[in-house]
Amino acid sequence: MTDQDSRLSRRHFVGATGAATLTGLAGCSGGSDGGDGGDGSDGGDGSDGGDGGDGGNTLEVLHAWTGGDGARAAEALVAAFEEEYPDIEHEFNPIGGGGNQNLDAVVANRLQNGDPPSSFANWPGPNLQRYEGVLGEVGGVWESEGFEDVMVQEAVDLHQYNGAYRGVPLGSHRLNCLFYNTSVVEEAGVDPDSLTSVSALIDALETVQSETDAIPMTHGASGTWTTTQLFASTMLGQEGYDAYMSFIDGSPDEAAVRATFESLAEILGNYINEDASSIGLTESNQNIIEGNAAFIHQGNWAAGAYRNAEDFDYDEDWGFKTYPGSEGMYMLHFDSFLYPSDNPSPDATEQFMAFVGSEAAQVAFNQYKGSIPTRTDVDMSQFGPYLQETQEDFANADQRPPNLQHGLGVPSGTMTTLNDVISSEFSGPYNVDAATEGFVDAVSN
Amino acid sequence: MTQNTDTGDDSGDALPDGGVAEDGQRSGFSPISALNERFGSDFVESSQFWLPPFLLVGLFVYGAIIWNLLISLTDFTGFGTPDYGDLDLEMYGRALADSGFIDAAINTFILLVGFTLVTLALGLGLAILIDRNIRFENTFRTIYLLPMSLSFVVTAQFWAWMFNFNNGVINIVITSLGFGRVDWIGNPDIVLWAVMFALMWQFAGYAMVVFLAGLRAIPNEHYEAAKVDGASTVRMYWRVIIPQLKGSTISASVVLMVFALKAFDFLYSLVGGYRPPNGADILATKMVREAYANLNWAYASAVAITLFLMTLGIVGPYLYYQYNRGNL
Repeated sequence: MTDQDSRLSRRHFVGATGAATLTGLAGCSGGSDGGDGGDGSDGGDGSDGGDGGDGGNTLEVLHAWTGGDGARAAEALVAAFEEEYPDIEHEFNPIGGGGNQNLDAVVANRLQNGDPPSSFANWPGPNLQRYEGVLGEVGGVWESEGFEDVMVQEAVDLHQYNGAYRGVPLGSHRLNCLFYNTSVVEEAGVDPDSLTSVSALIDALETVQSETDAIPMTHGASGTWTTTQLFASTMLGQEGYDAYMSFIDGSPDEAAVRATFESLAEILGNYINEDASSIGLTESNQNIIEGNAAFIHQGNWAAGAYRNAEDFDYDEDWGFKTYPGSEGMYMLHFDSFLYPSDNPSPDATEQFMAFVGSEAAQVAFNQYKGSIPTRTDVDMSQFGPYLQETQEDFANADQRPPNLQHGLGVPSGTMTTLNDVISSEFSGPYNVDAATEGFVDAVSN
Repeated sequence: MTQNTDTGDDSGDALPDGGVAEDGQRSGFSPISALNERFGSDFVESSQFWLPPFLLVGLFVYGAIIWNLLISLTDFTGFGTPDYGDLDLEMYGRALADSGFIDAAINTFILLVGFTLVTLALGLGLAILIDRNIRFENTFRTIYLLPMSLSFVVTAQFWAWMFNFNNGVINIVITSLGFGRVDWIGNPDIVLWAVMFALMWQFAGYAMVVFLAGLRAIPNEHYEAAKVDGASTVRMYWRVIIPQLKGSTISASVVLMVFALKAFDFLYSLVGGYRPPNGADILATKMVREAYANLNWAYASAVAITLFLMTLGIVGPYLYYQYNRGNL
């Protein structure tokens, strides 16, 4: 073979490689579209998310209920959905880890890339601000299903953003809860029902400390969120509804914030477990179950662990008290499903939204999750006595202030700043001045 | 042979591969030979091997870095598309004014330097001990290297338990020695050192392996010559052996420093979230928090670029050093 030939064939080869590379690159950029299609439509109907117009695609729902109660509740929800809508192809994808953090990151990436899921679990309220511009509206579902008539007014208000409904609530947890181990408080001679102010709570903690070997109040502070939500309940209980509401609405009373932090510093500085900073909620809650601690403040998801513990029954072994001072109030939390615009399966998603707000879905999910339906017309007979009482409190509450740490009170950026302040100023040593200043600055408009 | 040479004389140069170069081809201009002349022989011919990965890496690594740099110059937050029309250094100014960022940068630096130095020293010590022809050498080597094979997720959980204030094994040991308990995770002045200690435990084995390879490459004559000259063991290592480990030290430190910058996994797993304990925030966790908790894409990109520059500050001199030695 001559050199000319060899050059030519090499040149061809180079050309072919170049072309192959280009094709490969094109394949990569095109591949993400294909991948979207694969995500969205398992059945291989070939149309990817781009068309958006017809509702023939698989319903894809993202949530973060991966373990324990949450996983069982999500399974019950899926089963109920299949029963109600057997014809809708669906895919429920749990994304666990770091609370909701991994779910949020996945959702953020997919919304950013123009590849939204059909629906995803998240909190309504000011939390919706971070999804500005990427949420569609489901006002039609609210109207046709009559949700406005059966949900509490706060649910109606908090699910609207820029004048349109952006999602539907599935269930509600209560935040202003104080749980206790019955035998420990009896040993200390404390009557939890008599604790109707934060100062009474602090006295009770002192009594527990002097009368028993137990931890007065167990606290899991490996994350800052437990302290932030304790701040919210303490402020509500000590400074009252109006002070709390003006705090989250952006006109905080500096003295009220300071007084709250002073009480918190007294509680956290004297009456919590020494290993608080190295444990999380699960281990902290275990102190209640094992009788090592008297009180814990948490959302009522904590009660799920009590139900799953053996020989640990409501009223006999553990009890519930509205956080001292916040009697008659129900600090709100919502688990909701939001509706992204540019929806890959608009029709199926609207049906799913209608399902989420229905009695069947709310009963199926909440009885396992340990939360309560957001509808007030639901038959509670399938729920245990504790949740039945919670539901009564919910329906009859004088006020239902939004929570601080779970999206309903402040936008997510503010929430991050509040947690930064807790992390740097109030995770021991407790710096009341700096924390007060940080909180006031963070929420002020 | 002779025949071959004869033909060569008659009809142009014989090429090693048996082909024959023609005069016309050689004297005429061709872009391929021009490229080959400029970048060395076989530049074009070999491109089929290096060009595809070059383009892919170029696009997905360097292209992404440049894009990231561009985003850090915008004010991009939330969803939508960044506005590339208005580029400025505002995000970097914001970073310098953000005490959280400064703390994270300082922590990153402390972790980087402290972790690398201590791990190198420990790895060298272990390597020298193992190199002393001890019994069960392989067993010890495996034991020391094992932590490195575990993922950060696993080791972080181990250490979270071991650092527990009440029932962590470390506090149990030090209280049984008569000292008071230490709040390893909760005390902002200590937690970074505790994290550093855990990382050091995990990577000392790696440094040991690198140093061991370096020690084994030193000829026995050097040891013997030092002994003949009457050097003590300590003196022999200090004056003769360790100076020859420069290459091992440099390559091990680069890898360790890059690992220190990636301590994100460890901190994430330690607390199960983006926010490390107070006093242990590093740029990587700060970056992810800004991006995914707050959707401050531009600000997070600025943090990312800072982190990238720190990495470049470490890897750059190393690359230059290798280039000077003719290894690149």
